[in-house]
Amino acid sequence: MIERDVIVKGDAGVHARPAMMLVKEAMKYPCQVMLIKDDVEADCKSIMSVLGLAIVSGSRLIIRADGEGDAQAVNSIVSMIEHNFKPHEESAEKN
Amino acid sequence: MANNRVQLKDFLGDTGIIDLQIRLVAGSTGITREIHVGDINRPGLTLAGFYDFFAYDRIQIFGLGETAYLHQLSEPEKKEVLEKFFSYDVLCCIFTHNEEPDSLFMEYADAKGVPIFITKKDTTKFTSSLVYLLNEAFAPSVTLHGTFVDVYGIGVLLMGKSGVGKSECALELVERGHRFIADDVVILKRIDESILMGSGAPMLKHHMEIRGLGIINVKDIFGIRSVRDRKRVELVVILEEWEQGKEYDRLGLEDQTHAILDIDVPSIMVPVRPGRNIPIIVETAALNQRLKKQGIFTARELDRNIRESLKRENKEE
Repeated sequence: MIERDVIVKGDAGVHARPAMMLVKEAMKYPCQVMLIKDDVEADCKSIMSVLGLAIVSGSRLIIRADGEGDAQAVNSIVSMIEHNFKPHEESAEKN
Repeated sequence: MANNRVQLKDFLGDTGIIDLQIRLVAGSTGITREIHVGDINRPGLTLAGFYDFFAYDRIQIFGLGETAYLHQLSEPEKKEVLEKFFSYDVLCCIFTHNEEPDSLFMEYADAKGVPIFITKKDTTKFTSSLVYLLNEAFAPSVTLHGTFVDVYGIGVLLMGKSGVGKSECALELVERGHRFIADDVVILKRIDESILMGSGAPMLKHHMEIRGLGIINVKDIFGIRSVRDRKRVELVVILEEWEQGKEYDRLGLEDQTHAILDIDVPSIMVPVRPGRNIPIIVETAALNQRLKKQGIFTARELDRNIRESLKRENKEE
């Protein structure tokens, strides 16, 4: 089991589109992927669960994966949140 | 487990369950205080001077007795009593029977930021409503992955892996006139030793994700009669991909249960395969559950009839 925490940046928080990106990314891996915010767990492979967490900007999230490919899953999701849901090159240019 | 943080203001106005009919008259600065203990206290003994075991961190209920006691005190006595009473970090006070505390009481409350409420209800009725709300607010709760539907008055929690068809099944049930409560995220609360109450996440109210369609709002599409906000969970239906060679229940002689928050909820396992009409199975399971609640167990009765007729035939031989 792999676990990492990350702070959500940006203005809008995790609304529909970023939620969909999280789900799509999690679906790439066979392992179970969970998002945890304020002790509430959500299945990262379910769009409704992710939206239900009501993740606002500044929220501290724990990404937890268990099973095949858990390390890559956690790393890619953390990196996606750290890059504020933009493709990496684009956000690198802005920085 | 969800964190049980309840603020006083959550109980103002219609809570969606019970309207306590309370109004704030003083100490409005303390309205965001958190309730930590799901109990109440009648401060009669405390006002009379007995401060041992004073549960100041609970909601204080002033009934006719407490109000009358304060009334008959002389001004200096009253000042002394209130000085002592408000020297504790009192959570809040609620006066029943529409009795209004006098101005001195209000002054102390305003100074200390202790909210004072008045209710029209009588003490016993008010207390029972408040205890019900507190029990519910402090009930152990858990969030599960599933879909929750009211089928013929039975709260049916559909569970199973992602993609097994829970949402589609719920959609078909709604189309058949049943009521949708929650999809994907179901919040369950044990409000009593035997009662499990289920509802959806407030953010997602009446929304559902259908693969290929995206997110839909069941209430907007099917109308107000197709949804409800909460329901007691009385049956768990576990949907599972049909596995060749696995044994499934063929008789229904044994009652299966699924434990949620230490409550054993009757459950059935339904194998899913293409062409199987799951909604009608869920409907029938709900009706069968209603029969069982009335003490009618079809499989057992059939079994008994068969045994009796076999016994008769044996005797005749």
